[in-house]
Amino acid sequence: MRIVSGLLWSVASLTFVTQAMAAGANDCHTLKHHGQMREATACFERLTRASDSLSRAEGFLGLGQYDAANEEFRVAFKEQPKSADVRYEWGRLYLEHYQPGDAAKLFEEALELDPNYARAYLGLARVAGLGYDKKAPDLAQEALQHDPKLYEAHELLAYLALEDSDEKQATAEAQKALAISDEALDALSVLASIDWLSGKTQSEWMDRVLKVNPVYGEAYATGAHFFTINRRYELAVDYERKALALAPDLWPVRSELGLNLMRLGHSDEAKKELDQCFEAHWRDAQTTNALKLIDTLDQYQTFESGSTELMLNKKEAALLRPYIEPELQKAVATYERKYKMKLPEKVRLEVYPNHDDFVVRTLGLPGQGGLLGVTFGLVVAMDSPSARPPGDFNWASTMWHELSHVYILTATHHLVPRWFTEGLAVHEEGAASPEWGDRMTPEIVSALKNKKLLPVADLDRGFVRPEYPTQVLVSYYEAGKICDYIAQKWGDDAILGMVHSYASRKTTLEAIQDNLHESADAFNRDFQAWLDQQTTETVRHFDEWKKNLSAASKAANKNEQIRLDIALRDEYPAYVGPNSPYEELGKLYQDMGNKADAIKELERYRNLGGTSVASLKNLARLEQEAGNAKEAEATLTALNDIYPEDEEVHRMLGNLLLANSDASHAVREFGAVLALKPADTAESHYDLAKALQAAHRNSEAKDQVVLALEAAPGFKPAQQLLLQLSQ
Amino acid sequence: MKVVLLCLALAAALPAANYYVTIAGLGGTPDYDAQFAKWAADLDHELKANGPDAQVVTLSGNGATRQKVQELLSSMATEIKPTDAFALLLIGHGTYDDSDYKFNLPGPDITAGELATLLNRIPARRQLVVNMTSCSGGSLAALAKKDRIVITATKSGSEKNATVFARYWVDALKDPSADTDKNGTVSALEAFLYAQKKTAAYFESEKLLATEHAMISDNGSANAVRDPKPENGNGMLAAAFPLLRPGSESAASLSPEKQKLLVKKEDLEAKIDRLKYQKAAMPEDEYKQQLTALLLELARTQAEIDR
Repeated sequence: MRIVSGLLWSVASLTFVTQAMAAGANDCHTLKHHGQMREATACFERLTRASDSLSRAEGFLGLGQYDAANEEFRVAFKEQPKSADVRYEWGRLYLEHYQPGDAAKLFEEALELDPNYARAYLGLARVAGLGYDKKAPDLAQEALQHDPKLYEAHELLAYLALEDSDEKQATAEAQKALAISDEALDALSVLASIDWLSGKTQSEWMDRVLKVNPVYGEAYATGAHFFTINRRYELAVDYERKALALAPDLWPVRSELGLNLMRLGHSDEAKKELDQCFEAHWRDAQTTNALKLIDTLDQYQTFESGSTELMLNKKEAALLRPYIEPELQKAVATYERKYKMKLPEKVRLEVYPNHDDFVVRTLGLPGQGGLLGVTFGLVVAMDSPSARPPGDFNWASTMWHELSHVYILTATHHLVPRWFTEGLAVHEEGAASPEWGDRMTPEIVSALKNKKLLPVADLDRGFVRPEYPTQVLVSYYEAGKICDYIAQKWGDDAILGMVHSYASRKTTLEAIQDNLHESADAFNRDFQAWLDQQTTETVRHFDEWKKNLSAASKAANKNEQIRLDIALRDEYPAYVGPNSPYEELGKLYQDMGNKADAIKELERYRNLGGTSVASLKNLARLEQEAGNAKEAEATLTALNDIYPEDEEVHRMLGNLLLANSDASHAVREFGAVLALKPADTAESHYDLAKALQAAHRNSEAKDQVVLALEAAPGFKPAQQLLLQLSQ
Repeated sequence: MKVVLLCLALAAALPAANYYVTIAGLGGTPDYDAQFAKWAADLDHELKANGPDAQVVTLSGNGATRQKVQELLSSMATEIKPTDAFALLLIGHGTYDDSDYKFNLPGPDITAGELATLLNRIPARRQLVVNMTSCSGGSLAALAKKDRIVITATKSGSEKNATVFARYWVDALKDPSADTDKNGTVSALEAFLYAQKKTAAYFESEKLLATEHAMISDNGSANAVRDPKPENGNGMLAAAFPLLRPGSESAASLSPEKQKLLVKKEDLEAKIDRLKYQKAAMPEDEYKQQLTALLLELARTQAEIDR
């Protein structure tokens, strides 16, 4: 756990004595390092009465009295404006007190004063590590260059390596730390974590930890961190509880326990833990935001069915439930068949209309950029369609993606590597509906062009510690394509075989060998060749495409514009992002009165997964005008998966369905119009009444027509319907 | 809305606004110029659907100078009678400097005070001013007056961003759903509520902080409201101001028998209105039963009229 790590190293050092602090602080840290907490506390208290401000600050910091420590650091800073030590120690306070940005600034200032200050590099490495920044290992190495005996740097490198699932490197770095100090508690904790992750509940490394420090709960917390980032939340909770049993005042650990309990859907227990943190003045963003979210849970309503629980905000439940609940049940039934398994308990889907509330659930997890949904065991949390601007994402494909995780995590006992579960989830989106799944965006084409795809065995790194800003996105695409490739070449049984291999603790190399019967090298080579076949043309034309994209809009006339847009479309057919050639061509053809070609281009756009609500609504209107009700229905149905908040879409679709004698779905659409609280309530109740009448639900139809007439007593069509229904 | 229901009969009985003046101000950029001119042209087109009796005048582009506005409103002051209705619709940018609102026009701008002076000379007792510009809330104090409905796109002069309210005001005249009481007329109140709701929905769907909040005052007070209702004394005049009533038919052309039915219909509508006022104090089932009976009777009466 990153924040625990920040605490650990504050007690681990025995070598960073400064002139001003003399031996006092070291003595206190030594006592704490050995778990002699009462004596350590007394020692730190003595330090708070020292004659120099830096020692007093260190004393207060050791006691967890951050405000008092901060004041003393301020005094020390005034007294010693050129002291790198003061800045470094003050930075430590901020790092421990969940203010990594302030800490980094002070570490950098310390380095300006003393460019050889190894611990300041280590401090910066820890700050970078908190954000899963790829600079963290480099900074730790830099620290070692300046002080090869700085065993804490090796401990951090071991920790970072294990975050990248590189057990070999993690073990090597931990051993290097132990070679320098055989009481390197965090190195022992990483080694113990490797045992725990591999299923050993008893670890000799933990025994060694407890011999050095019998109350070193941080070791269990380290294990919990690795369980958390590997999505094994139940075990994370177990290890957090073990940590707190040894050291109840590890507030960051208790806060993380609260968050993990919340992720698992145990809100009441989560609240108790988080409240304790809050009462103890541990009020970091994670704790306070999680408490705020829990306080809003009474605004939600849960709908239970056979194997599902759906939690929706009350203000949008009437609108979304008729769409999300059947789709959820369909996904569950599909995955049950496909993965030949039933979930042990109900799957719970939580839908948040406020993106910030959803984000609270994902705090502290790696690779979260642009996240739409997240899975915690049997609990899925995701953005509501209303949480993002229209056309920003497809809620249905997001839900199918997350549900795939639920099955794969369960089937593998949470032992699946990140790349495989993400890749399979992307693959399943495409399997559920061809226009879903990850598109080959320009960032991905660029990565393909620059040969940035990772070998399959290293693909997890692309998710956990990206080396360039779009690598997470590229890794999703690559992982998805790998699963497409496996399914296409070896079939779904091979996918299922790999799932079972991971459940048996096999590595990716072993899973490939066992199920695909080839080496990872051969697999990488063949996969690349397969992918090249699909992407070579786009990659080859990419530079030209980028250049021509702006030229098309500046063309001399519409015919020239059409010629350029057709070229753009053919150079990069998968592009359906902003100002896609399909949309541009659609507009141009429409302006020229050529509606047939406009429809053709926009239907291509729709089928390739285009999500612009305006373009798709326009397409539906064109299709309707052209008398192609079936295609219009398909377009509007696709729109419902993207943005079901649009009154006009529901009304258009309702009318089409009604004309097509699909009264029950028309009822759903007109019900959605009403759930959106339309300005025109009379018309909306009347439409629903008509659909209910067609569905032979005359009593409900009469209720609706009365509501229509209540709003507009002189509304003639409604009057006529009331007369019909009253006969 | 109760206000709408109360005034339903009144709205149907009064003639549509006879005079409509739309002014599209200075855009400042070609995009805004084109947008404002288009909205004004759309309004012009829709308002002309009121029939040949409607006097629709639109100024936009370089033709919308302060002098032209002054000349037009001054000539209207001599032409319009007290029984006529008059509507002024302003599209464009406005500014507010904590004391004066100015409507931006090519050349010198025109202040809210100057507009008020011109409007006060127009004898029409029923007046509607829809100021759809940025900062338009800053014009409320100058424009508010007894018997005048004032609608602004912003709640104050400090909402300075370009507005989208005008787009939805135009849509209100195009979209049949704006006629929420289905009486064939879009009243100023219906158009206001439609445009206000669509504007709010625009900001919400785009996940943007709303930079405009439309207001209405029709009780003579400068303290405009966002939710007109009997409790705050707003909405009565606006509900009775028919903005768009295409193809209206005179009751006088009906036979004596049908005129009797019309009286019965109006009586039933009044009973329905009264019942709705009592809704909160009645058991739900009893309300529904009585309402259904009255609505059925009204439907039968209407069917007789239409036969």
